[in-house]
Amino acid sequence: MNNAIEVNNIEGRKAVSSIGMTVLLVSFAMLFATLLLGYVVFRLTNDVWPPMGLKRIPLTLPTISTFIIGVSSLFFYNFEKAFNRNNLKMMRLQFGLTLLMGVCFMLVQFELWSSMKELGLYVSGGAYPSLFFSLTWIHAAHIVMALISLFFLVPTLSTGFREDRITWVMNVGKFWHFLGLIWLVMYIVMFVY
Amino acid sequence: MAFFEQHIHSEPKTFLSKYVFSFDHKVIGKQFLWYGILFLGIGGIMALMIRWTLAFPGQAFPVIGNLLFPETGGVVPPDTYAMLFTMHGTIMIFYAITPILIGAFGNFLIPLQIGARDMVFPLLNMLSFWLAFISGVILMASLCIPLGAAAGGWTSYPTLSTLIGSPGAGQTLWTLALFILGISSTMGAVNYITTIIVLRAPGMGYFDMPLAVWGLGLTAILNAIFLPVLGAGLLLLIFDRVFGTTFFLAGAAATSGTGDPILFQHVFWIFGHPEVYILILPAWGITSDLLSFFARKPAFGAKATALAMTSITILSTVVYGHHMYTTQMSPLLTQSFMTLTMTISIPSAIFFANWLGTLWKGSIKFPTPMVFSLGVVFVFGLGGLTGLYLATVTTDLYLHDTYFVVGHFHYTMAASVLLGGYAAIYFWMPKMFGKMLNETLGHIHFWLTFIGLNGVFMGMMIVGYAGMHRRLYNPFVYDFLERLIPLNTFVTYSALLMGVAQFFFVANFIHTVFFKKEKATDNPWEVGTLEWTVPSPAPVYNFKEIPVVKCGPHEFGNPNLTGDRDYQFQTEELV
Repeated sequence: MNNAIEVNNIEGRKAVSSIGMTVLLVSFAMLFATLLLGYVVFRLTNDVWPPMGLKRIPLTLPTISTFIIGVSSLFFYNFEKAFNRNNLKMMRLQFGLTLLMGVCFMLVQFELWSSMKELGLYVSGGAYPSLFFSLTWIHAAHIVMALISLFFLVPTLSTGFREDRITWVMNVGKFWHFLGLIWLVMYIVMFVY
Repeated sequence: MAFFEQHIHSEPKTFLSKYVFSFDHKVIGKQFLWYGILFLGIGGIMALMIRWTLAFPGQAFPVIGNLLFPETGGVVPPDTYAMLFTMHGTIMIFYAITPILIGAFGNFLIPLQIGARDMVFPLLNMLSFWLAFISGVILMASLCIPLGAAAGGWTSYPTLSTLIGSPGAGQTLWTLALFILGISSTMGAVNYITTIIVLRAPGMGYFDMPLAVWGLGLTAILNAIFLPVLGAGLLLLIFDRVFGTTFFLAGAAATSGTGDPILFQHVFWIFGHPEVYILILPAWGITSDLLSFFARKPAFGAKATALAMTSITILSTVVYGHHMYTTQMSPLLTQSFMTLTMTISIPSAIFFANWLGTLWKGSIKFPTPMVFSLGVVFVFGLGGLTGLYLATVTTDLYLHDTYFVVGHFHYTMAASVLLGGYAAIYFWMPKMFGKMLNETLGHIHFWLTFIGLNGVFMGMMIVGYAGMHRRLYNPFVYDFLERLIPLNTFVTYSALLMGVAQFFFVANFIHTVFFKKEKATDNPWEVGTLEWTVPSPAPVYNFKEIPVVKCGPHEFGNPNLTGDRDYQFQTEELV
């Protein structure tokens, strides 16, 4: 590996990293914006919602998901704070909780999908269930990506604060909070409204 | 602008790390160049097959026809014809033009022209190429499967692209390939934008960057914002095909529920209109620079050109509806889109006038890159003007889906970008490979290509104006089109001429890269931008010392200059 760019100045490296990550998040935001645009088009062009006598999805499970993902963001925030203070014990605890909440979110999503099937909503059952399944699938795929990226932070749990990991923690954090935010928007637009 | 120190690369030793999995932006640029040229050849042969079918329906395609279509005796079958025009469009847009201009020259030029040692994220850069490679393999593999490749047009409108229109796996693979390519391009875009923001040499403001970097940077911004839009559309299309969702199936086509085929058109063109600017902006930037370099004059209104390109970038995001006038849009919407589209002609006219202003009273030299740039000026002017007929609702309703459209977008996207790409290849060849391409062969290449492409695309516009629709296997079954056979034959002969012309380029290119001994000098074109201050070919670390920029990129013919140079380097104080 040749390290083309080696950085001594931490502030500079943080700035570069956040510029790159911001551009990347704009891209991800456009992906979800387009999907939600599609949802809104179907939602507004149908006189009756849900159409064709299909059932509305109960709010319970999505609300639990929203709560879990919010809490996980909080845990990650604490992890980041502990990382910067090099508090090893706190780091491990908060990292574990973040990971746990991430996995819980996925479990609740699986529960949501099977509950949708019990309501008679199948993937191929028209635009309404298609939308709910596809959008939550795509979001869940990103959560899985975020969970995988969490594992890149595992080495810090034994070493504590390391200068060469600081941008990793920042970027994974940004991605994690971003997905929480996206879920919040999806929750409001798709499930509540 | 120094966010951090850039260290000098160590030269990679093994073959794999030097030529295959290289982190060096110059090597990745060359990889993209070869990739693009390969696909340009494949797409070009497909174009010739399409043209052959239109000029000589029912006759065997010469030379390779019998090899490819043995069951019909070498005649292109109708379903294959649909696959050909689909794959021709896809390959040319996403796998030839994008890699050559954005992949190759984006990678090669951005760090060299802004005085950096490499891209800011070299690993991301390498991944970007290899994802594009995987995507290309998937696309080519789709040609070899039962029921063949995608055949729904490069726009892949539903319901043609759903399971009802194309039941084979080809369309699914096409969608997947484009999705992967989208990821690759987004990664590239993140890299380009960050590099331009953070790695500019000390002293280099945004307006001190060459216009080529402006073009590439704006392209990267459009890529980062709008490729995910296509990605979302493609994902939903994949879901429709694989999981049985019904986003794009409507009416009788859907087994249940109410999808909306038009939604895909909206999503596609929200991405698709910026995409045409993604393709053309780098070519504009490169042309703006080259015109100034060879007119030996400062670029006329360089700042205005840069700002005009920026405003076109912004405007390009709000005009997509002009592709969809015939989808029963409300008249209010069509009028708004028409007005917005017409607005683009203002910034276009500004930088076009600036090009002419750059040439005005210059002491113009005519080496190959310059004739190609002048070619861009001509074909882009023509392509841009014919765009007005398509932007106007009243004329578009008649011209929609005719060969006039095909002629128009080939003039702007194919001709301009192709000529711009060739100009760039001829111009930066010494810096990329350390050798100069042969000038005589270059001029022959230019004139044959230029005459050929004008014959092809002008002819297309005329047959389109006469009412010939695109994507018809044999239009001459209609009585009113029978008289267009001679004109179509002329177009096909022009296309063959253009095809033959490319052999001059390939021979020239291969000979120069592999066999030519004669080395180029460090600054053969006598130009002052940063890449010409380093040896040819550029060393692994680009710059021994990070340069300090003291003047703009187009400082030519300054009367205060003493000595025998009529230009000054960007590292020198303006005299």
